[in-house]
Parts: sequence; C-alpha cells; structure tokens
Amino acid sequence: MAKPKLALYWAAACGGCDVAVLDTNEKILDIANLADIVFWPIALDFKYHHVRAMPDKNIDLCLFNGAIRSTEQEEIASLLRDKSRVMVSFGACACFGGIPALANLTSREEIFQTVYLEAPSNSNDAKTVPLPKTTVPEGELELPGLFDTVLTLEQVVPVEYFVPGCPPPVDLILKLVDLYATGQLPPVGAVVASDKTLCDECKRIKEEKKITRFYRPHEIIPDPQKCLLEQGIICCGPATRGGCGLRCIEANMPCRGCFGPPPGVIDQGAKLVSALASIYQANSQEDIARMVEEVADPAGTFYRFGLADSLMKRKRLHKS
Amino acid sequence: MKTARRIPLLKKMLTQLGIENERVRLEWVSASEGDRFATIVNEMTEQVRQLGPFSHNGGGENG
Repeated sequence: MAKPKLALYWAAACGGCDVAVLDTNEKILDIANLADIVFWPIALDFKYHHVRAMPDKNIDLCLFNGAIRSTEQEEIASLLRDKSRVMVSFGACACFGGIPALANLTSREEIFQTVYLEAPSNSNDAKTVPLPKTTVPEGELELPGLFDTVLTLEQVVPVEYFVPGCPPPVDLILKLVDLYATGQLPPVGAVVASDKTLCDECKRIKEEKKITRFYRPHEIIPDPQKCLLEQGIICCGPATRGGCGLRCIEANMPCRGCFGPPPGVIDQGAKLVSALASIYQANSQEDIARMVEEVADPAGTFYRFGLADSLMKRKRLHKS
Repeated sequence: MKTARRIPLLKKMLTQLGIENERVRLEWVSASEGDRFATIVNEMTEQVRQLGPFSHNGGGENG
C-alpha cells in the first residue's frame, strides 16, 4: 500500500508551528516513515505548481498553520483544501487568528501608515508603500493584497480538525499522527486537546479567589506554588482549554489563552472579563475604577490569541 | 456586586473594539419603581435608535 501523503503549510504565522513539528525530534523519522511529505515550504523544495498539478484529494493529511490575511494565503488555503482529504487547523493562528489577529484592532491603512511611514526606524522620504500592482520598465509586478481583517482558516475553507496552541505541543502532534495512523480519527470538528479548562488541569495550590490588585508580570515575582490568579496576576486559565501540558504555568508565567475557549464558551474574552472582574474585591466606585485602570489593555489581554474567532472578530472601522 | 465590577471593564474593552459606550447601560431599578423602569427603557431605546443599527460590516475590505 502506498504511504499516505502529508502536506504542511504556513500562512500568517511566525514559523513556530513548523518548528514544533521538527521538535518531535527523532519521532519526525516515524512521521517520515509513516507518510510521504509532498509539500512543506519551510523544509522542502516543493512549489505551488507541484500542488496545483495534483489530482483533487490527493493529499491525505494537511496540517495548515497560520491565519489568513492575504490574497495569497486565501488562495493556497483553497488550493490545499481542494487537494486534501483531511484538513487540520494547526496552531492558535489557524484556529483563532492568534497574535496576527491583534491587527484586527486596527486597519490595513493604519498598519501601512505606521510600518512604512511613521515608524522611527524608517527612512522612507519617497513615502513608498507596497502596492498590489507596480509597473516597471520590464512589465507589471504583482504582490499579494493584504486584508483589513485577519481571518481564521475555518472562516475561509471547511476544516476537519483543530489542534490549538502557540505552538501545538509535541505530544498533541504525535497524538494526531497516531490517531491518523491507526484510523481512529475523532468525529469531524473535534479539537485535539483536553475538554477541561487549564484551571482544571493546573496543579498549583488554589485557595479562595479574592484579588485586591492586578499585577502585570513585570511588577511581581510570583510564588511558584500558588495559583497565579490569586496572586493578582491576570491568568487566562479560567476560560482557556487545557491540554497544553501547563508549559507557561510551570515556567511561572500566567496562561495567555493560546488553546482558545473551552467547550461551551463562545467568546473567550467576554468570559475572562466576567471571571476576572467578579473575583476582584472592589466594592466602591473608586475600587472599581482602579481595577479597570489596572487592566491596561483588556482587548489585547483577553483576546490575545482569539480576536478573529471572537463574536466581534475585529474592531469596528466605521460608525454605523 | 459582580455585575457592578464587570460592566465597567467590559465597557473599556468594547471601546477598544469600536463599540459606542452608549450602547451599554447599567442601572439598578427596584421592583417598586415602575415609572423609573419605563423611563430608562424609553431613554435607552431612543439612544440606540439615534445611534442607528449596529452594523457589523465595519470590517473593512479583504483583498
């Protein structure tokens, strides 16, 4: 029997998800043994035209990481969807928009203004900004167009499975490969992670949740044994799916929410506002105002990885 | 009490998301204050009407 064909792709992402696949170390050989890798831009020299030349559904398993924010990423997502039997939304950016989706708090115009014209490190007297089409003596050059709104993979093409995380931990990658190899893939739509919240899995000592002050991570050295939230550090554990292996918590850092909302939660940020505000011991207008002040950037904190997947999806650009 | 804490933080976040603060209002009304309840609901209805329909298509352009 021919080996199954595996494809990996990166869209709007940092490359960490691809590195996470390489982090499987010697197990990568098992993966290579198990499957023929037919497309993987970070590691192998296959081109888009190789994929276009394939018959539909020729790829058995496609691990797609990164959010969608350009015409090129949208095109390749559709192409890989056509060519793949099983499409996996791989990593926080593909699943929820991830860090790139924080761009949804601004617009393409503002981003271009800052990046190409206003950034202090720029020297751009000619005020050059990238254009989708540029005419040069040799002809017309084309660049992919940038979207105003960063999208999740599932907002662009149908997806079978989700593996969250920034990046997905090695054990979940191997679990997915194992489920695939043994023909035990879960029902379509499943998230390959835990069904509990991070708080449920966290082993820190938890007492009564009463906070009198929020600290930002640089303002306090946390006790490594006690619940970070009880120490006043904003931890997204109450409204974040578990299964991550508590990587941040064990490094004495709070959860940032990269596994997305747990089952039953539609909007991770709204849930976190509800959870955190309710345990803050503020009983007067002054105390409440201080609490609001202490959360410097609620949208960026509570939707750090999930803005594209939230109810609002982005900042509204125009007054209605 | 929890609601009194949640709403101000929620409003700060909604402002970041471009949602007018006037669309969210928290008032405490006793069951015996029928008139006050009606007044507040009428005010709120009028305020939202003036703001206009909540368009979610302020999402800019893709491509």
